[in-house]
Amino acid sequence: MSDAASNVLEAKGLTLVFGAVTAFSDVDFHVGEGELFAVIGPNGAGKTSLFNVISRVYRPTRGSIRYRDEDLLRRRRSDMPGLGIARTFQNLGLFHNMTVLDNVLVGRHHLMRSGSLLGGIYAGYARREEREHRRAAMDVLGFAGVEEWAGYPVQVLPYGIQKRVELARALAMEPRVLLLDEPVAGMSSAERGEITQLVRRIHQERGMTIVLVEHDMGMVMQVAQRVMVLDFGRVIGVGTPAEVQRDPQVIRAYLGEALEDAS
Amino acid sequence: MSLPAWLTLRRATTVVVIALLLVFPFLVDEFWLNTAAFIVIYAIGALGLNVLTGLTGQVSLGHAFFLGVGAYTAAVLGGQYHVMALWWILAAGIVAAICGAIIGPTALRLRGLYLAVVTIGIVFIGQHLFDNLKWLSGGPPGRAIPAPQFGLAFTCPSSGCALDFDQQQTFLGLTFDKNGLFYYLGLVILVLGMLFVRNLLRTRPGRALQAVRERELAASLMGVDLARWKVSAFVISSFLAGISGALLASLVSFIQPDFWSLVLSIQFVAAVIVGGVGTIWGPLLGSVVIFGLEPVMQRYAQSLPLLAHGGSGGGVAVSDATHIFYGIAIVVFLVVEPLGVIGLARRAGRLLHRRRAAATAAAA
Amino acid sequence: MTTFFQLFVAGLALGCIYALVALGFTIIYRASQVINFAQGSFLLLGAYLVSWFSLDRSYPFVVAALLALGITVVVGVVFQTVVLRFTVGQPVFTVVMITIGLNIALEGTVPALFGSSTRSIGDPWGSSAVHLGGVVINWDSVWTIGVTLLILVLFFAFNRFSRYGLAMRATAMDEEAAMAVGVPTRRVHALAWGLAGAVATVGGFFLAGFPNSLSPGIDVIALRAFPAIILGGLDSPLGAVVGGVTIGLVEELTAGYQPNDAPWLGANFYSVAPYILMILVLLVRPYGLFGHRPAERA
Repeated sequence: MSDAASNVLEAKGLTLVFGAVTAFSDVDFHVGEGELFAVIGPNGAGKTSLFNVISRVYRPTRGSIRYRDEDLLRRRRSDMPGLGIARTFQNLGLFHNMTVLDNVLVGRHHLMRSGSLLGGIYAGYARREEREHRRAAMDVLGFAGVEEWAGYPVQVLPYGIQKRVELARALAMEPRVLLLDEPVAGMSSAERGEITQLVRRIHQERGMTIVLVEHDMGMVMQVAQRVMVLDFGRVIGVGTPAEVQRDPQVIRAYLGEALEDAS
Repeated sequence: MSLPAWLTLRRATTVVVIALLLVFPFLVDEFWLNTAAFIVIYAIGALGLNVLTGLTGQVSLGHAFFLGVGAYTAAVLGGQYHVMALWWILAAGIVAAICGAIIGPTALRLRGLYLAVVTIGIVFIGQHLFDNLKWLSGGPPGRAIPAPQFGLAFTCPSSGCALDFDQQQTFLGLTFDKNGLFYYLGLVILVLGMLFVRNLLRTRPGRALQAVRERELAASLMGVDLARWKVSAFVISSFLAGISGALLASLVSFIQPDFWSLVLSIQFVAAVIVGGVGTIWGPLLGSVVIFGLEPVMQRYAQSLPLLAHGGSGGGVAVSDATHIFYGIAIVVFLVVEPLGVIGLARRAGRLLHRRRAAATAAAA
Repeated sequence: MTTFFQLFVAGLALGCIYALVALGFTIIYRASQVINFAQGSFLLLGAYLVSWFSLDRSYPFVVAALLALGITVVVGVVFQTVVLRFTVGQPVFTVVMITIGLNIALEGTVPALFGSSTRSIGDPWGSSAVHLGGVVINWDSVWTIGVTLLILVLFFAFNRFSRYGLAMRATAMDEEAAMAVGVPTRRVHALAWGLAGAVATVGGFFLAGFPNSLSPGIDVIALRAFPAIILGGLDSPLGAVVGGVTIGLVEELTAGYQPNDAPWLGANFYSVAPYILMILVLLVRPYGLFGHRPAERA
């Protein structure tokens, strides 16, 4: 059972309607401090749309989200880093023509101060800031195991490395909540294993609260503490991975995929 | 014997290039020096546009307007009030920057192609204003702009300030004429500008601008204030455009409002592209190609096939030929090498590097 | 009152020309998400070709017009298939700049081929006019409005009812999906560029008719079609027409009344009025009157 006071995220009655299409409706959930909460469901279930609503990319048609004690719907997109919320993207939100290090340094943007004038004349303040935050960026890259690629432009790197860079960039923002959008989408099983390991390390070593959207049941079973299942925009089950796996409604929704993948 | 670590190929090339740029005037005749002075001054404007379009990804076809603003600021302050050159050059940049700060927030709310078309509107409305504000621009017939005069006072007396560009000056036994003085002045400002851009690129603001270009959504989720950075880029771009316009008008010494046209804006965009979008040396290289081409073709029209030249009829007019050439250059560069001349240079560098690596590997 | 009516008709005729050019822009934009800055130079090329065929080569006007149409269509199609296929996946800005490059190159080629002196378009009705109860209407205007209406009706019918019209609409909505169901998208792109070239040419030869004449600078007038498409919204053919006609009317009426009624706005105010109107509209509706906000992929 979750203590309401330690809930990081609390959503009630979330609904998103695009014209004639309802992406999801009446979604309620809560995420506790330090929890790894996964949202799963077949393709088209509304997971990514839900994610986009939580990260303030879309405005929900109805419903509320509370982040700690705040009404998240009153905050703007650019407030997210200040609140401690970071996200990754399903199709990679990396800046392709910039280097790995520069990408991660953009993650540090909200923690730095230099503007065009200070930066342009490379004043002492800007210099010191650069030194300090480059060190922090390299540390994060090291944690993610990709520090040797720091000077490479992102677009020449293999997909697996790019995914890790994106995770590193999100971590560099020093968030308190991490929203991961299908972190192992399109990966080989070896790559999947590596990313799953990395996500677990982030969760355990850094005590990070993580909300994960994923289609791959196997990965979710390994790292999630609680799981919410969506189908056709509605919640059809919430519980521990084991509970959800046994739920007949969930099995029906996946048409037996769940059983196969998890074993 | 191995070379010290700081002596990279890149640094060595930069030093050599800068040295060449410095001694260049003593190696060439007046025609080339005059052309070079123009190129360097245009490059200042191109550098500005590169910050806006190359780094930040905001398409602007309105650059010519800001050059015009700078030019007329110079005309009023320098021509009417005899202000010393340092001040009217700075003022030209600042007034243009202020215009950028006013227009920017509204214009930059628009995206992509809508923004491009609105900037076209800015140029046309600007030309309309310039045509009709006769006290400012002299109306369609045009207005004279004075040559720079540098001195220690804020304004220059009627006898002129110490360093007058209209007269030959001698330093350390070397004589400099008007073209030479303009060349060095433009070069100094250009290099300062390039240093500024280089610093931007290795600090937070440069990354923010590029993030705006790459993926606005992701950038804003990381705390990059899109509106603020777009306007910053616009202001920097306008500042440099103003200075470029002022020096340009001063070098030409007489300017008509129809000079600040859409064609000029497009030439700047072409220079940024051909030189190499988002690079530091790109604007200068691009300016050499785009703004150097026509004078060169004019000069050699006699010996180049197909070109019309004064005397005998027939042949293609030089201005048309230059248009054809750089229209094709834009298309070719964008299809083949989006990083322009710099991109080609880098490719050549990588090729050499690979050959050398292969050679050493083979030898080992 | 007669002045108003005359200005109105002239504005309608000019508006039809802008509508044609704007329609060309919209066709390409819907198919390829690109504003083709070379529309103006297609117009220029088309007009010069007509003039050359009918005056220098003495072909009958209709033959000259058809030949010019054919050549501009080919130029558009060739450009699309040869150059633009290499730019798949590049940002829109790059493709737009490529069209600007094409525009510059064509702008130089036309005077290089045909000379830069002012000439006539070679139309058979010249400066003749019809008199209706005190109002003078040029035949050129009549033909312009008539032919434009015809083209618009044909285009909307094509768009609505023909297979390729459907294919174009499908490609505009979602190219990947269209490809997946077997729509020949490459042909659709080529078709779009061909149509745009044709439509620009028609606009060109009416533009260069009386009271204008043909000189290399007329493609600048195509730039005034930009406010038309912005007003109408980049992706709406109906918007293009409404926008074009609006701009034409605004221009003629302003040219007629402003010098007397509001001289402080400056000489030739009519040439910037469309841009001011466009900017005012964009302040309120950033995607034009009929345009839509493009869906952002998260």
